This record gives sequence, structure tokens and C-alpha cells, in this order.
Amino acid sequence: MNIFRAGKLAVAATALLGLAGGFVGVSAAAASQPAPPQTTVTGETYVIGTDTTFAPFEYRENGELTGIDMDLIRDIAANQGFTVEIKSLGFDAALQALQSNQVDGVIAGMSITDERELIFDFSDPYFDSGVQMAVAEDNTEITGYADLAGETVVAKRGSEGETFANSIKDEYDFTVKALADSATMYDDVKAGNSVAVFDDYPVLAYGINQNNGLKSVTEKEQGSSYGFAVNKGQNPELLAAFNTGLAELKDSGEYQAILDTYLEQPAPAAASGFFGLLGDSLPALMKGLGLTLLATGLSILIALVLGVLFGFFKVSESRILRGIAGVYVSIFRGTPLLVQAFFFYFGLPQLTGQSIDVLTAGVLTLSLNAGAYMTEIVRGGIQSIDPGQTEAGRSLGLGYVTTMRRVVLPQAVKIMTPSFINQFVMTLKDTSLLAVIGFAELTYQGQQIYAANFRTGETLLIVAALYFIVINLLTMLSNKLDKRFNK
Amino acid sequence: MSASKISVTGLRKSFGSNEVLKGLDVEIAEGEVVCVIGPSGSGKSTFLRCLNKLDELSGGTVIVDGFNVSDKTVNLNEVRQHIGMVFQHFNLFPHMTVLQNIMLAPVELKKQSPADARATALKLLDRVGLADKATARPAQLSGGQKQRVAIARSLAVNPDIMLFDEATSALDPEMVGEVLQVIRDLAAEGMTMVVVTHEMGFAREVADRVIFMADGLIVEEGTPAELFGNPQQARTQDFLSKVL
Repeated sequence: MNIFRAGKLAVAATALLGLAGGFVGVSAAAASQPAPPQTTVTGETYVIGTDTTFAPFEYRENGELTGIDMDLIRDIAANQGFTVEIKSLGFDAALQALQSNQVDGVIAGMSITDERELIFDFSDPYFDSGVQMAVAEDNTEITGYADLAGETVVAKRGSEGETFANSIKDEYDFTVKALADSATMYDDVKAGNSVAVFDDYPVLAYGINQNNGLKSVTEKEQGSSYGFAVNKGQNPELLAAFNTGLAELKDSGEYQAILDTYLEQPAPAAASGFFGLLGDSLPALMKGLGLTLLATGLSILIALVLGVLFGFFKVSESRILRGIAGVYVSIFRGTPLLVQAFFFYFGLPQLTGQSIDVLTAGVLTLSLNAGAYMTEIVRGGIQSIDPGQTEAGRSLGLGYVTTMRRVVLPQAVKIMTPSFINQFVMTLKDTSLLAVIGFAELTYQGQQIYAANFRTGETLLIVAALYFIVINLLTMLSNKLDKRFNK
Repeated sequence: MSASKISVTGLRKSFGSNEVLKGLDVEIAEGEVVCVIGPSGSGKSTFLRCLNKLDELSGGTVIVDGFNVSDKTVNLNEVRQHIGMVFQHFNLFPHMTVLQNIMLAPVELKKQSPADARATALKLLDRVGLADKATARPAQLSGGQKQRVAIARSLAVNPDIMLFDEATSALDPEMVGEVLQVIRDLAAEGMTMVVVTHEMGFAREVADRVIFMADGLIVEEGTPAELFGNPQQARTQDFLSKVL
């Protein structure tokens, strides 16, 4: 099911922005150009996409990616003499990135399925998984599938768990609801919205060990095997090196040691207090905050340039310029920011065959979006100035540009400043939406943390507090500057 | 014709389907002071704004100070430096001091160095009786003071012609006199002026010629004595009977 969903996303984004079906055909051809022949991996660097958090296969500990998949790919790389650059994108996004050749391979606790084998090449299986059911710790009523009659259960969207739950839901008469990640599924069960969760057994076992408030009540169902994937026909040398490396690690016992680290002797959950959590999560959150501010700063600067340019277009006497600015504003105000982000990160590379890094895509999205609002702010500011001011300037023999620069703009800027500050704050908050394309800003870092420690509420509280503090400090600073320069 | 400072032939102006000026012919000689009177909506202000092309012409020819304003290729910015304009609502630049208002054009147009522009501005302020307001902001001035600053600002680019668009209409009655005095002084110095006004007494006193406009046409013109003393047209008589 996952394949269809992932494919649909990009197509939907493309179609939404009004691009004809013909483009998709062209893009598909461009995206599947054969890779240059490559026989050895030695000394090469490969970009590997993975899920944001799928403990114990991939998750963050003190800001560093760790887990079975991470140890495995790094050890295999070391064994085979290549280097990897890990991109923690989220499961859907990682598959999407692999299809558009944004990454060379994906290791994300991904089951090998017939559908996926149509579009990806898989390695030898490196882990045999299975689905298990869990309920809230204090739930004594649900002990097996038979107790689920009339109830709602939750499973991860597109996962083996969902497939399994759907396969037995008619027999046991329950409803299946799909959510995007384990942490929110567990919260859903604890909150009583669902009575049980179907999840991969290693993930569930790890979560229970981390005091996620659940307990497993069934045996593991025989499930599928996990594999490492490359895009169909691409990077065959990488796939071969993975298989060779995996075999060598199995022979040397290193493979078993990695599994034992995460499954046999799970790290005891240190139930630290709120301040413990704060101390543990702050370094990663600060890193995220830095990226949030970087993306905001860059985006606002570019948006300001766009806003001034198109704002002047909007008040110009030329119908063509007014038309251009009008189209720009209506496109970017008339489509959701989220769709724009997906389009620039996933859609554009498929159309152009040119990959784009997540910061560039994010800044492109935010600046074009904020630029549209800035355009309206600039237009409104200029038009709010009495036409008599322009007439006075022009009647003195001053040109249009000089009149704008010396007479109209100094007054208009004063009027625009509060709106600019407002847009600045909006854009800062909008950066959180970039978490969906795997941009490691503040919200994304927060998601990473609660996905690993299952302390959703407290983590989000810290994230919200950081936003609140930074936004209010910046607003105070902006207002001070406004008062000082716009007396 | 050779002595004409302003020469208007067949001037027409429409706003959409509304024709505001229906063909005006006017000759104004150098040093002449012409007052334009008439009821609201008669096209007086539009006529004035066509002289420096703040409003686009719909037809006809306007030649001011040797420049064909109706020619699309003429450099309007240069023409306008020869024509000062004073507005009903002053249109001072509120973000600048009085001095900066006056200095802006001479400095931006590179006619004077900032130091020279400053000296000129102070001289002009002295001439309109506001030497002590150089550092004030427009918001701190009374209406009459604002209009006197606006006149000084127009004079700073050293124009040959001054246009006054109901310069006293927005003023409290007790401030009208101080502004009229400045205009009167300019007339005495030989400045060519076109004054759109509702001050009939002033027109009678200062004008060399008075033009009466109604419905986009010049109904009657003549010396103040002729026009006010012995109007020939019924439309003129009717108007004067209401305002005098």
C-alpha cells in the first residue's frame, strides 16, 4: 500500500499546482536516467535516507542518530570502505526521496513486499519482523483479538501492522485507524481513543521497555523481512556491498552483537524528571532552533526583496507588471504552504531531474510564500500615502524614483513596519511545517525526542516554550527598533 | 504670441466619459497675474493641473515657458522645475523639517550644494516670515504657516511661473491674509502666476486679468474692473451675484 501512497503524494502536489499530465511523463523520464557505471564503492560517499524515528531501528539519543539500522549501515560501510551520509527524512519522505534520486539508498526498517520490489531493488533480508498487539498497561479486558469486537484499534499507516489488522478486522469485528508514527499511536491508546495498537514487535518491545505505558498481549505474528533498498536499477554496487558486508558481519558475530544491544539488553529507561528531560533534550532542540532561525532569517530577507519588487509592480502603471505581481500573489496565497513545501522538495526534482537540498527547498517555499504577503504589505503601505505627496514631489520636478525614495517610501515604511514584524513572526512559526520534508528545525527535533522517549506532552511543552520565548524576544526587539527609527 | 509665457490651444480633458475641459484657449504673458474663478466643478483646478501635466491631457496643445507640455517626448521633470505649484492642502512632507522640505528639490536635482540650498531655504523662509520655524515639523505649524512653507518650497527651484490651486481654501479665515500677502508680494516682483481662487476681493486687487470658467469652458475674461464691474454674460452675472 505504501508504494501507491508515496507515489500519489508527488503526483497530487504536481497536479495541484496546475501542471499538465504531460510534464509528469517528461519528469519520469528525466528522473530515471541511468547512473554512471560504478564498479566499486571504495572511497565513495552515499546518501542514505531513513525514518525520523522507528526505535529501535532508528532514533535519536542525545541528538545523535542511533539504532539497529544505523549501526548496521555504518558498520557495513566501514567494512566495505565507503562512507554514508544519513538523512533522517521520515518513512514516506525517504521513499519519495529515493524515487526522485535525492538519496542513494534507504534503510528504514522497511519490509520487503512485492509492490515495493516493483520500484526498488532490495538487499538480502537483514531482520525478520512480525506484528504484535499491545494495550494500555492498566487494561485487563483486552487479552486477545476476540476482545476487540466493536472497538477501534490503531496501526501505523502503510505498515505491516495495518495490513495485518485489516486482514483480521472483519473476522473479529473491529475498526482500524491509521496514524503516522509510533509515539502518537501509543498516546492514542493511552488516551483511550483506541483500545489497542498493532505494531512491529521490536518497536513495541523497545517502547514498552522505555515505559511507554503499554503492555503486549499477543504473540508475534509471522511477519515480513526488512531489507535495504536502492532505486530500481540504480547503485547496484552499493547493494552488492551491503550484501557482502552483511554476510561478513553475520560471520564475525558483529551482527548478533548489534541486535543484542537493542533487543536483548535494552538500555534501562532512566525515568528522569522534567528537568532531566529538559537537560537531555536542550542540545538537540537548540540545534533545531538554530536552523529555525536560519531558515526564518534567510526567508524573510528574500521575501523582503520579493515583496518590494512585486509591491512596486502592483502600484506601477504598467498592466503587464501589475498582472505578473497579481499572478504571483494569487498562486502563493492561494495554495497551502504545506503543498508548496512538498512541491519544491519532491515535485520540482521530479520535473527538473535536479535534486534540491532540504534547506534550499524550505527557504524557497517560505520566502516565496512570505514574499506574496510582503507584496501586499508593500502595496498597501504605498497606497496608504496621500497622492498629494507624490504630486507635490513631482510638481517640484523630482522624478518618480526620487519621489518614491525621498517622499513616499519613508512614510510608507513607517506604516508597513508593524505588518512586517507580524509577517516575520508568522514565517518563524511556519518553519515548523518544514518538519514534514525532514528539515531538522525545532519542531522536527521535538518530534524526534518524543518519538524516542514517548514523553509527548512534556517535550511539546518545552518546544512551545522555546518558540514563545524566541518570538516574544524578537517581537520586543523589533518594536524597539521600530520606535527608534520610525519616530 | 512671442511674449506668451503660457499658450493653451483647444485643451480638452476627460475623466472616463466625463469631459471636464471642453476646449480652452488661453494666452498668458510674462509677468501677468491671471486669476481663475468659477463655481465648483467648472474645471478650474483641472485646467491648472494640465499646465504642469499632473493630469494627462486628452487633447489640445499646452506650451509653457517654451516647452510643449502636450508633447509626449518632452522631459516633464525639467519643465516642472520652471513651474512652481501650491496646493489647497499644502502637501508638505510630514517626515521632514521645514528646512528639509524646502531643500529637498534643489539638492536632489543637483541645482545647489546642500550648503547653498540651506542658505537659499533660510532666505526664502525669511521672505515668507517664518525664519524661526526652520527646524519645526509641518505638524507643529498652523495652516497659514504650512501654506507659506509650501510657497517657499516651490520657490526654491527658482521657477518662472507659479500656479496656485485654491491656496487659501483650506485655511481658517484669520490665516488667509498672511498667505495672500505672500502671493501679493510675488505679483509685485513680476512673477507670472495663475491663481485659482475663491477670494474675489483678492482677485480684483491683484489680477491683471480674471478668467471666469463654468462647465469646462471659459465663459468670460477681462480686467478685474471689466469682469467684476460690468460682466457681459448671464452666467457670470449669476455667479458674481452669489459670491460678492
